[in-house]
Amino acid sequence: MGYDDYQCMDANGIREDGRKADEMRPVEIVCGVIPVADGSARIKWGKNEAVAAVYGPMEAHPRKIQRQDRAILDVRYNMAPFSTTDRIRPGFNRRSREIGKVTRDALESVVDLELYPRSKIRVEIEIICAEAGTRCCGITAASVALADAGIPMSDMVVSVAAGKCNGIVLMDLNKPEDNYGEADLPMGILPATDEVVFLQMDGDLSMDEFKQCWDYNVKAAHDVHAIMVEALRTRYGGEV
Amino acid sequence: MSEDSTPPEQASGAVRLVHPGERIGGHDGAEAGHGIRRIDGELVAMRMGTLQENGQTVSVEPLSSRYTPRAGDLVIGLVEGMTNNIWFMDIGASFNAILPMSLAPWKVEFGAVREHLGVGEAVLCRVQEVDETHSAVATMKGMGLRKLKSGMLETIPPHIIPAVIGKGGEMLQTLKELGDCRIVVGQNGRVWLDGEQDGMREIRSALKLIRDTAHLPGLKERVAALAGE
Amino acid sequence: MAIPIIPSLLRKSLAEMASTDERIDGRSRYEGRNLEIEVDCLANAEGSCRVRMGDTIVLAGVKFQLMTPYPDRPTEGGLMTSAEVRPVCGPNWEAGPPSEESIELGRVVDRGIRESGCINTTELCILPGEKAWQVIIDLFAISDDGNMFDAFALAAIAALRTATVPAERFDVGEDYRLPVKGTPIMCSYHKVGGRFVFDANKREELGGDERIHITLGDEGHVHSLQKGLRGVFTATEFDEIMDQAQSHCAELREIVHNLEDSL
Repeated sequence: MGYDDYQCMDANGIREDGRKADEMRPVEIVCGVIPVADGSARIKWGKNEAVAAVYGPMEAHPRKIQRQDRAILDVRYNMAPFSTTDRIRPGFNRRSREIGKVTRDALESVVDLELYPRSKIRVEIEIICAEAGTRCCGITAASVALADAGIPMSDMVVSVAAGKCNGIVLMDLNKPEDNYGEADLPMGILPATDEVVFLQMDGDLSMDEFKQCWDYNVKAAHDVHAIMVEALRTRYGGEV
Repeated sequence: MSEDSTPPEQASGAVRLVHPGERIGGHDGAEAGHGIRRIDGELVAMRMGTLQENGQTVSVEPLSSRYTPRAGDLVIGLVEGMTNNIWFMDIGASFNAILPMSLAPWKVEFGAVREHLGVGEAVLCRVQEVDETHSAVATMKGMGLRKLKSGMLETIPPHIIPAVIGKGGEMLQTLKELGDCRIVVGQNGRVWLDGEQDGMREIRSALKLIRDTAHLPGLKERVAALAGE
Repeated sequence: MAIPIIPSLLRKSLAEMASTDERIDGRSRYEGRNLEIEVDCLANAEGSCRVRMGDTIVLAGVKFQLMTPYPDRPTEGGLMTSAEVRPVCGPNWEAGPPSEESIELGRVVDRGIRESGCINTTELCILPGEKAWQVIIDLFAISDDGNMFDAFALAAIAALRTATVPAERFDVGEDYRLPVKGTPIMCSYHKVGGRFVFDANKREELGGDERIHITLGDEGHVHSLQKGLRGVFTATEFDEIMDQAQSHCAELREIVHNLEDSL
């Protein structure tokens, strides 16, 4: 199928996976899935599945990476070899490196790093199964894992990606929409204030379309945030 | 050594669970305590935990945390390394503590630190001081402070310590009787047990029970039931 | 992997417990931890399995690729096993190139499966000299609480035996179940407190000595062996665990077969 052939929506405005333009894929989150970690979470988002583990805060080694005034976040994003239809060869991957870096930039914006000088907090994100929006799954799972580990944060980062396909602005792109679409806008939002800590974009969007994508992301972020909070409350004996 | 504090589940009234980023309304003029920060005039919870209101201070009792050393804390440390005149100790905090030669209980010659305390050994020591970069200095000069040569170590999350000790040391006494062992609870969540194998095993089961169910009411009864078995 | 400090009290405790035939988590000497196993759990893999032994959790994914047969073996496809133990699974696993530990893990699991002959590489041939299947088993650790060898080996064989060859996607025919003859199973024994135990957890590994991995096939034949880490063992000790392996492997084999029957 070529790029011009894909139809993201039928005559009734229904997408291939049964959703309307402004609907999200189903999201499930569970905490504490990695028993040996200080904090962890698993997220299932559509067909995506990701886990995040947090270790620390711990002494930062080697000494040269230590910062005297605050902790450092050591973030890794990785896709398992079996996560995609075509196997991914294990090893250094530039895309994964970049995603790890922007994830760190997002999380550092909320974590109270000054509380733990000279230490480091490890955040390990692994994509087990991929279906568009893996970096968003990763950031979201990492936020829950950090909360699970008791790391102080001013808010939890929720990440979602809206975009455009066949000229229609869509919430939470799925795989064919991401592959054959015209634009992709992943964001990381702080639900208490709607402030942004993560932002990337590629493609072609008019200013109106851009604003619509932004609004979709903010709305979706609030919905996902409720699921994150529920997961944490369940973990900690939520009969309270 | 023991901390006289009320375990979370015995606090009166409804317990409110808060998450990082949650805005805490209705406390005008209140002070921001541990785990709470004032952002743009609002009180914001910074951690996952239970909201505590003590007079004019609002704070969060964390449900998961890393030990933060404070001067005076009794801790159980594990030696990770050494130089000619100091030992580096893992005390389960975000940063290692140092034990200088001058604060050891033995007369140590420069360069001979290894002879007295080696890598992997456990000691009962006290946090002497903590500077603003969270560097902790430990001391072994003090009553009861010593190298631990027998028994075994268990680890519990620091926020469970009050439940393990109990009101006025009640729970700790129950555990000691349960296993007929010596028990020392370090503020860093490390627990030292010393006694017969059977007894230590009983206590370890009880510690696991406390760790898993401390937040639910009826803890005393559950642990007492173990003793009855 | 960063070398963890081994608390000296731990070794002492383990030795004391061993003298009264006890283990740190209350199990008996040859008792395994609680086992959970699930296949078909990875949507983008052609075969998959998730194994949980106590708090050790691993995934195995089977994927197929097309390959050109080697000139000296024109009618054969290939089988490859790759193990990734990433920092996600434990505080002591570091980022970077594969550690010796993870390389050993992958290769030992691979040998057990390969030497059992359960995969016949000539059956992987599509067009002699031109096209054949390469079967790749990717082992992925999620949580390391000890004995990843057995968890990986079990996940690998269960994933293989429930894998589907994706012929349609590669336009070479209809999808079919991968033919796997036999069910090689690995059982590992770790010397803790001076004697071998089955399914060691992390603390036992930390305070223990050497380990031995035994892979047995359906008829109880030995297909691979490996001794790792520092320590010595006698022929008598080895006989005893070989005996145990016969029954342990048979039990695990039955679990895999029951799983397949329930699909």
